[in-house]
Amino acid sequence: MSVSMDVASATTSATGPCCARCQGPLEPGDLRCAVCGLAAPQGRAPASQAVQVLRCTECGAAVSYSAEAQAPKCRFCGAVTRIEQPVDPIDQADWLLPFGVPPDQADQALRQWMSTLGFFRPSDLSRAATVEGLRPIWWAGWLVSADAVVSWTADSNAGAHRSSWAPHAGQTQLPFRNLLLSASRGLSLDEARELAPYFRLDLAVPAAHRTQQQLGPPDAVLEQFDAQRSAARKIVSERIAASAEDALKRGVIPGSAFRNVHVAVLLHALETRRLALPSYVLAYRYKGRSYRAVVHGQDASHVTGTAPIAWGKVALVVAGALALVVLVIGALVLARAA
Amino acid sequence: MTPRPPVRFSRAPVQLECETCGASLRVEADQRTAVCPYCASPSVVERPPSNDRPSPHFVLGFTTTRESAQGAVKAWLGKRSFFAQSSVKTATVDSIRGVYTPAYLYSAMAQTRYAAQIGEDYQETETYTTTDDKGNSVTQTRVVTRTEHRHLEGQHATYVMDVLVVASRAVPNAELEAIEPFDLRTMRRYTPAVLSGWIAEEPTMTQAECYGLARREALEKIGRDLSGFMPGDSYHGLTHETRLDRETLELLYVPLWVLAVRHDPQKPPFRVLINGQTGAIHGKAPLSWIKIALAVVLVLALIAAPFVLAAARDRGRDPAERRGAARPLTPAAAPAPTEGVRPGGSRPAPTGGTR
Ligand SMILES: [Zn+2]
Ligand SMILES: [Zn+2]
Repeated sequence: MSVSMDVASATTSATGPCCARCQGPLEPGDLRCAVCGLAAPQGRAPASQAVQVLRCTECGAAVSYSAEAQAPKCRFCGAVTRIEQPVDPIDQADWLLPFGVPPDQADQALRQWMSTLGFFRPSDLSRAATVEGLRPIWWAGWLVSADAVVSWTADSNAGAHRSSWAPHAGQTQLPFRNLLLSASRGLSLDEARELAPYFRLDLAVPAAHRTQQQLGPPDAVLEQFDAQRSAARKIVSERIAASAEDALKRGVIPGSAFRNVHVAVLLHALETRRLALPSYVLAYRYKGRSYRAVVHGQDASHVTGTAPIAWGKVALVVAGALALVVLVIGALVLARAA
Repeated sequence: MTPRPPVRFSRAPVQLECETCGASLRVEADQRTAVCPYCASPSVVERPPSNDRPSPHFVLGFTTTRESAQGAVKAWLGKRSFFAQSSVKTATVDSIRGVYTPAYLYSAMAQTRYAAQIGEDYQETETYTTTDDKGNSVTQTRVVTRTEHRHLEGQHATYVMDVLVVASRAVPNAELEAIEPFDLRTMRRYTPAVLSGWIAEEPTMTQAECYGLARREALEKIGRDLSGFMPGDSYHGLTHETRLDRETLELLYVPLWVLAVRHDPQKPPFRVLINGQTGAIHGKAPLSWIKIALAVVLVLALIAAPFVLAAARDRGRDPAERRGAARPLTPAAAPAPTEGVRPGGSRPAPTGGTR
């Protein structure tokens, strides 16, 4: 993946305090580190007075905390004092990747993609399909960097004795740099995984510039992040664990077949940036049924989605294969008999 | 952790003047809040932090009201088991008090070395000999699943967080565990405003004691994690050694409704705790030993019944042939009905000898 110096330098300069245990950056309003649970440093000065009496701002009476109001409430005049609430916002994208593909090119890209799907698709698909909707959308994604100590266990075929499986265990350091994870509700995980490697992170623009610059079609929708900040970092940790599992299967765990892969991930310096990633979502119809495809907004040669299957062709091939098997068996029987 | 010298909490009460009416208030050393008895003004006392009484980091405010806590207790009492004393179901709930109890949030980095025997299953075809329906011995084959055991050892590293242990001697940690979890997402940075007007206690346990409780919970958690971490179809002999690093304890006030239930004027009331955030209830309603004893007797009687019946039938049948002659002639036959209840065997000589 292309590592952007721009994003890296611009984002690190913006970071504030870091967690003393895991070095993950803390966001304003964080009470605790979401990765390791350590309390954020307190900005509070020690109480100046030995005795604190909370007074009603309306009538001056001493005020108690009320369970009903979940805030201090005056018994005399009913006024409720507001106190600091934990901040758990739904975050917005910090960085926007501009569209590089105009809408009409997205339509062509869809037809092009349809013609490359292979033998088992209807041959008239790219001609007969009608595009019903073409929506430019910036979907929500996280760009994640972290160092991880990954502890793992698994069964694999390496070193197997009588059983086809043998247990293995290990611990390895895995660096994650600019790992792109979907934070999108609109885009499935598989769709996101297919498109993610082809984004040009070096073209990222601060999201605040969206109104000043023409970064995409005027009707492009900016997708909201789905999870609140506290939940988001948990999802990110889980996705990192899933990526770690994939990485382990590609060369860390000995053998070629695996099962029961367990990972425990200890993250260090987890940094999460929120990106808006351009793509076109196309709804199309073929013989009365609806399908959906997603065209990469920066590189039209990458398209993913669902397409109809030509069951007639599948049936023909299966029948052909069966006929071949019958012929071969028949020939063998005849040869034996002769 | 370095061993600490035995701590001495300051036992001196604080004397303070009510800000509203000027009355003199005495605040016990273990209390953090006070309410003026004359004008009901609440105040929160902030003492300089010490090793075992650090400044609080967080507070979880009450979200359930006194009325809902009271209602929950009534419903809970009504649902006590049959073995609770009958008076419990109609007990009166007195003095329900909202208390902010000090607790510590513990977190650490846990590094574990483990070893286990991992069982990997495989299928094997074996031959065996059996007899067919004509009585001939025949040899047949069958597929059996066998397990080979392989030694595995390795390391596991993770953060342990959200371990909550009590810091007050008034509430045993097990009782707090019984009404956990608390929803830590609604935790606030500590502010005296949330404690104002409620009872709040200073920590009365040392940090060393709380570290001890927290480590035990952390290790149990790691143990559970590890059992899910093992590969293979089965495992046995899992042993592990965990090093807890970069540990921290952070003081948190949790909301508890504490109440005494008086069910019998002759007996001391028993205590019930309610999670002031979720409404989870824990208490040990006193059991009725008479009910339990009766139940035990009943169960024993039910178990013994078939034997008794069998014995009775036995007794009724055997001597029957001779009953006409033997009974009247044997004076010892008189206690016979009581012997009948002995389950099986050990018949006394007089009747047994007649066989
Ligand atoms: Zn941390
Ligand atoms: Zn007063």
